[in-house]
Parts: sequence; structure tokens; C-alpha cells
Amino acid sequence: MAGSGKVVRPFAFFRAGNSAHNNPNNRPILVLEDVYKYFKADQPTLKGVNLSVERGEFVFVTGPSGAGKSTLLQLIYRAQTVDEGRILFCGRDIARLTAKSIPYLRRNLGVVFQDFKIIGHWTVYENVAVALEILSMPRRLVRSRVAEALERVGLGGRGGELTSSLSGGEQQRVAVARAIVAEPALILADEPTGNLDPTLALDVLTLFEEINDTGTTVLFATHDHSLLAARNHRIVYIDEGRVVEARKGLGAWADRQTA
Amino acid sequence: MPFKTAVTRAARAMREDLRLHLVAISSLTVAFLCLAAALFAITNLATIAERWGQEGRMSVYLADGAEGRDIEQLRMLIESLPEVRSVEHVTARDARAQLAEGADEAALAGVPSELFPESLEITLAGGTGAGRMAAIAERLTRFGAVEQVETYEGWFEQLETLITTGRVVAGALAGLVLLCVLFVVANTIRLAIAGRREEIEVLKLCGASDGFVRGPFLVEGAVQGFLSSAFAVLLLFAAFVAVRGELDATIASLAGVRAAFIHPAIAVALIFGGGLVGATGSALSLRRYMGV
Repeated sequence: MAGSGKVVRPFAFFRAGNSAHNNPNNRPILVLEDVYKYFKADQPTLKGVNLSVERGEFVFVTGPSGAGKSTLLQLIYRAQTVDEGRILFCGRDIARLTAKSIPYLRRNLGVVFQDFKIIGHWTVYENVAVALEILSMPRRLVRSRVAEALERVGLGGRGGELTSSLSGGEQQRVAVARAIVAEPALILADEPTGNLDPTLALDVLTLFEEINDTGTTVLFATHDHSLLAARNHRIVYIDEGRVVEARKGLGAWADRQTA
Repeated sequence: MPFKTAVTRAARAMREDLRLHLVAISSLTVAFLCLAAALFAITNLATIAERWGQEGRMSVYLADGAEGRDIEQLRMLIESLPEVRSVEHVTARDARAQLAEGADEAALAGVPSELFPESLEITLAGGTGAGRMAAIAERLTRFGAVEQVETYEGWFEQLETLITTGRVVAGALAGLVLLCVLFVVANTIRLAIAGRREEIEVLKLCGASDGFVRGPFLVEGAVQGFLSSAFAVLLLFAAFVAVRGELDATIASLAGVRAAFIHPAIAVALIFGGGLVGATGSALSLRRYMGV
């Protein structure tokens, strides 16, 4: 992060740009070890989830509604806390972070939601810039970084528009720009295509893949089988709180089921 | 979080929700105006008390037809007393002229000077006790040329009581205004928090610290308190300037002092105190409704 010397980031070593392929000796960026999450005492939402995500990976997280996909992501960005087990993000147990440290964790994550979570009465620029203003980044640097992020998501030159005037697909692109502008190590996308038509959904998926190509790890939660079928990424299937994996797309998944 | 960013964000939020903030500022202005008016009253009562308290005063009203020689003798005697600082002979004509200074000349046109009592106005050294004043008065009353001696003791006691009561009332009013400001600011910020839930959620998801989220709301509360107390002081000053002429005449004729506006230091303290109370109200609301 050139030019942002003032920014205090305890997790500053969680930088993007190290793909698993280029640096095979790197430890996984994310490890879940025997994770349990209970919303009802006798009915855990997640039951002993074990998962390891390498740096630079693109992972689909899928499963039926209510299976625990969103809960899994919420545990990672600490909107929820694990009840048992641990979650290591770059080797640090995020379940043990104090409330004051959570913002520093989130500054190293980009989160994208199905409902976009962008502010309608703010401009596109303001919605994206907020992720950098939080880091107390100099205004000039914010401007150039936001312009770059908007360019990457195909909204170059539209920073002055109100986000409420944009289409659903464009609003999701603004959310993606906000998620990537601070160059997080990991992007969590919670059903980001849930509100989009199939063509736009594929566009947004491609956008995430382009981001992944630059080395950023992506966890993409979706229950849309057409997206899973369209790409050969690793699939993490969650059903009734348990995880089953397939390394290479739906084909491998079907083979595994048959076997 | 840099203060500048908090101010920028607060300014944007206040622009977006201008009506809410204007309503809050008008309510707070009324509250601060009450407090400023009470301080104004206290300031002027205290000026009167200071004027009359620094030097003891006595008026020796002379009997009708008192001879000039008797008056001169009486004056010499009074001047020889160690407590007496000065003695001024006020003739009936002088007394009429003094009253005319603070009143409508036309109303006094038909009133003859003879109706006004001739007197010796005595200024006593500071620290002359009430007992000693009473003894001097008792001694002077024995002179044939003296009709009556006024020590103003009762009047001064009443003034002291009035000032003490005024201070208590102003203190209670300050407490009431404080509560009122806290209540209004806290509720305005509560509404602002409710209106910006989504924004707060986004900020937190992006990794904003509690301070970053809280900053603009604190600035908004402080601005509300600052602006409303500043408006209250300005309104009171405008009213003071508008009625100053009449006020001066009334106070001058009653107490011999000119009306004074609240001391600039008190006005500045009121304005900045308003800002501080506003920020406090905002902080209370944030703690209660946002948990940061």
C-alpha cells in the first residue's frame, strides 16, 4: 500500500497478490478447525466444519437455503462468534479477537452481499471511498484508488452518479469495488448474484474471477447451480451444518456423489 | 479518526437531514435563551449590589425651613466622623434634576422643586457595619434640622436576598437547561442513528472503528449545542440593544447604574459549554442506542 504510511494495520501482512500456485510453501490463508456454531442449544447450525483455503484460491460455498453458508461467512468476518473450534486467518485465531480488534480484521477482508449494502443517497465514489477513509488514507490517494477500483468493475468515470440511480447489476459492481478498493487478502461474497438475472450473475462472477486472477482469495457463496456448472472452481458444499468438498467443479461433485 | 473527516461526514449528514437538525437547534435556542436571560438578570443585580455594597450610603433628609447655618454645621459634624468619606448637599432643585435625568421631562414639567426634599448624601467608607450606621443615624436624628435619616439597610437586605434567590434560580435553570439540552440532543442523535442504520452497518463491515462511527454524531451534537447557545446569546444581545435606552433609564433612576450585558467571558463560556453539553448528549445517545 504505497503512500499510506500512516495507516495502522496490525494485519498488514494479509496482502493480496500471493497465489497458491506461485508460492506453494505459503500456509493457507484461512483454516477452519472443527467449527461449531449453535443458534439453538441442541441444533448446531455448523457441526464440526473443517476447511482450508489456500492463498489465491477461488472457492464456491454452496448448499441449500438455511444450510449455514451465510453463517460460515459471518464467522469469518466476525459478525458471529464460533462456539467451538477455531478459525485461523493467516494463522491468527479470529475467534479470540477482542471487539476492538475486529475492525482491523475487517480491513483485511472485502465483503459483498446479496442486498449490496450500499448507501443509495451517496454517490458511487462516496460508497467506494468510505473503505479507504476508514484507513485515514490521504484524499489524493483515495481518489486515485477509487478511480482504479471503479475502472476494474466497469464503472470508470461514473463516480459522481448517485447509486440509487444505478441498475441492480451496477449497484453490485459498486459493492464489489468497495470490497476490493482496500486490496484485501480475502473477499467473502455472500450470494452476490442472488438479486441479479442470469446474465448479470455471470458477469458478476466473471468480475470476481478477474479479481481472483490478481491473487486475491475469493469465497463465493451461492446456491445457483448454473454458476457452479459454468466454472471449474473448488466447491465446498454445506448441508445440515456439515461440509463436503469437491476439488474441480460440479463434474467432480457429481462423480463424487456417484462413487 | 481525523477530526476533519468527522466534521466533513457530520456536515454531509446534517445537510441530508437538515430539517431534523433545525428543529433541534430551535428548541435548544429557546432553552439557552432562558438561561442567558437569567444570567443577564443576575449580572445586573450583581452590578447594583456591587455599586451599593462597596460604599455604605446614607441620606439625611433635611427639615423644611432648615437654616443654611444649621445645615453647614451639620455637614461639618458629619464630615468629622471617621467613617465618612464624603458628604454632598443635594438641594431641592438638584433632587428634581436628578429624577428628571431618568424620567420623562414632560411629566415633571408641572412639579415644583419645593416638593423634592433637600438632603445631605453621605458616602461611608467600605466596611462600615450596619450597627455603626444605625448609631450614626440615631445621632443625626437628634438634630433639629434633620427630618429623617435613611440608611437603606432594608433595601440593601432585600437586594441581597433578591440576588441570592436569583443565583439559586439561575443555578436551577442551568440544571434544567442542561437536562433539556441533553434530552433534545440525545433524541435528535437517536433519530439520526435510526435514519443511518444502514450507513453504520456498512461502516462497521468495512472495518470502521467505534471512534470513526461515533465521530460525526459527536460533532453533530456539539454543533447543535454550539449553534443554539450562540443564537441564544445573539438574540439576547439584539433584544438588549433594542431596549437598552429604556432599560438604562429605569435602572439608572432606581439604582444609579447602567444596564450591562452579560460579561463576554460568560457569553463565550455559555456558547462553548453549549457545544460541550451537546457532544455529551450525543455520546449518551450513542452509548445507549448504538453501543459504541
